[in-house]
Amino acid sequence: MTLPTLQRIADAVAARPAELAALREEGTLVAGYFCCNIPEELVLAAGLVPVRLGRGGDDGLVEVGGRYISHQNCPFVRQNVGAFATEAATPGEASDPWVANTDVVLAAATCPQMFRLAEVIEHFFHRRVEILGVPRNFTSDNGHAYFRAEMADLATRLAKITGNAITSERLGETVALLAGIRTSIKALYRAQAQRPDVLSWRQTFETVRAGFYLDRWRYAALLEDLLAEAEAAVATPASADDDGRVRLFVSGTVIAPGDTKIVDLIEGLGARVVGDDLCTGLRPFLRLEVAEPSIDAVADAYLDRVQCAALPHLSLEDDRRLANIEESYGATGAEGVLYHSLRYCDPFAFKANETKRFLGKGVPFLEIHTEYASSDTEGIRTRINAFIEMIEAARTDKEIQQVA
Amino acid sequence: MTYQIETTGETFVGVDVGSQTAKSVVLRDGEIIGHALVPTGPKPEESGAEVLSRAIASPSLNREDVAFVVATGYGRVAAPWADTTVTEITCHATGAHFINPRTRTVIDIGGQDCKAIGLDEDGHILDFALNDKCAAGTGRFMELMSRLLGVPLEGLGALSLEADEQIAISSTCIVFAESEVISLLARGEKPQNIIAAVHHAIARRIAGLLHRVGLQQDFLFSGGGAKNIGLVAALQEVLGAEFVWVPDRDPQLLGALGAAVLASRASAKSKAEARAALAGAAR
Repeated sequence: MTLPTLQRIADAVAARPAELAALREEGTLVAGYFCCNIPEELVLAAGLVPVRLGRGGDDGLVEVGGRYISHQNCPFVRQNVGAFATEAATPGEASDPWVANTDVVLAAATCPQMFRLAEVIEHFFHRRVEILGVPRNFTSDNGHAYFRAEMADLATRLAKITGNAITSERLGETVALLAGIRTSIKALYRAQAQRPDVLSWRQTFETVRAGFYLDRWRYAALLEDLLAEAEAAVATPASADDDGRVRLFVSGTVIAPGDTKIVDLIEGLGARVVGDDLCTGLRPFLRLEVAEPSIDAVADAYLDRVQCAALPHLSLEDDRRLANIEESYGATGAEGVLYHSLRYCDPFAFKANETKRFLGKGVPFLEIHTEYASSDTEGIRTRINAFIEMIEAARTDKEIQQVA
Repeated sequence: MTYQIETTGETFVGVDVGSQTAKSVVLRDGEIIGHALVPTGPKPEESGAEVLSRAIASPSLNREDVAFVVATGYGRVAAPWADTTVTEITCHATGAHFINPRTRTVIDIGGQDCKAIGLDEDGHILDFALNDKCAAGTGRFMELMSRLLGVPLEGLGALSLEADEQIAISSTCIVFAESEVISLLARGEKPQNIIAAVHHAIARRIAGLLHRVGLQQDFLFSGGGAKNIGLVAALQEVLGAEFVWVPDRDPQLLGALGAAVLASRASAKSKAEARAALAGAAR
């Protein structure tokens, strides 16, 4: 059974590139952005149409990107340089319609590689690029002061681009809109963990991505419809055939639209994902509450949420990222963590071991270090398969002991 | 919870189709009654079928005499002759627990990968790590060394024990190590010193892999690499730990043995699962 609104969302996403092109014809500007630390509240309040950029899983574009950026940048960054390169060489024929429909690029410098991506796009492909500085010392007062100043500066630049001042009235509307979207996404994630037969994690994950592209007011309404359908279906009895699959929590480096390698393997081997802390999944929606419609409040809220591993944090005791993984792992009823890192994504690759130790021996933990090329697919299949066997073996023994 | 080997008189076979060698073990009442090894050809499906029929023929049995076949190794994805497939990681753990229930750590050096596995007292996997996309320290790497040095593969271990000088090799990358070894040969270094240095470089790399899993005794070394006495000596030196040897067990057959043990459990396990399912339905 598929919830009817999922199809409406898919149709809306398919129709969106043409819609964006039409809006641009009328003079509306589209802000394609990288990284979830770009505040959509400000982008929308300035009258820009936000589209979250960044696709993955295409090794051909990684190779193209590698002509402009170092091979020791992660494949995600290389692929997206490749997408801009392809769009520059053959306008309108790019494989990425979101890049084709971008008027101005916004990039948050959370990850230094993302900053480099923005530089390369500006330098080689002459795109207008605006950077939002992100402090390394994100938990300190200095960090907050810096980020407030950066945010105010970005707001000024956005207002200049459109000619629309960001009023507190307008900001109040966008803050409320995005708060509503966050509430719905969190509720959908709870529903999928509870009843994957009603709504799968993959469908939920796809729904989050639809929000990268769709008109945000339309998206908010679709989410409410989807949530109403999901909650009604959750109240019905579970079908038996969905019992028994191994439940995995996916953490680590970005899994961007188009990159289905790991999730396909997990599902192909008969297990299911029930939760994530990915920046293209649930993480950006967590612990983000803008206290009042002001630029300072937006800055504080974005900085104080569950942050990316690219921001250094030495103390394990108060690391919100780790605490969130532990909490979500328990809440979703997951039986193991699959920690995914992309080659040259140093922050997540480095923090794999730290995360494993933090979670402790009671949490089965599998680290998969990969890239978009398919050369390692069989090796990864074996690892994930063995991980599932390991969880199943422990589970069978528990059941036998319970019966005996 | 340890499964008991049931003495039913039934015959079970494990087949491990590795990248370089296909191995098979025939098990009855917990005893190995036959085995075979053949080089893996370009068609792993055929190599698996061949090693299976050779193993079954070794105690003069027919395919009809076999109750259950489990396939493992990278060739398990093309094994229509098997009843089911299990990953080589689970098979190595099972084989290691079967031959020595006190095994807590397994290092396996195969043709195209190395793995470290941590086990609990019941033989369950606690953690495992595989080397990533790299031929360092694998059988393929040793074959290249054998060719470069003009020494048969089986002779590398003994030769390295004759080393009289420590030289440094920094690379275990199959591509860079080749050029490094060629320069060492050109410089006039003795082959025994070069191969001893290669073994130590591999041992240090495996120590890194093992660090991710943890080293606990008893510690077992399996795979074709475990037949290289020079590599064994280097690993023991680098790790500061002794391997526990089980007499009369070919370390290269451990995965196939584990697969055969899992084949013998298949019937016992399905009974237990049926009971668990019944209990679940009653709740």
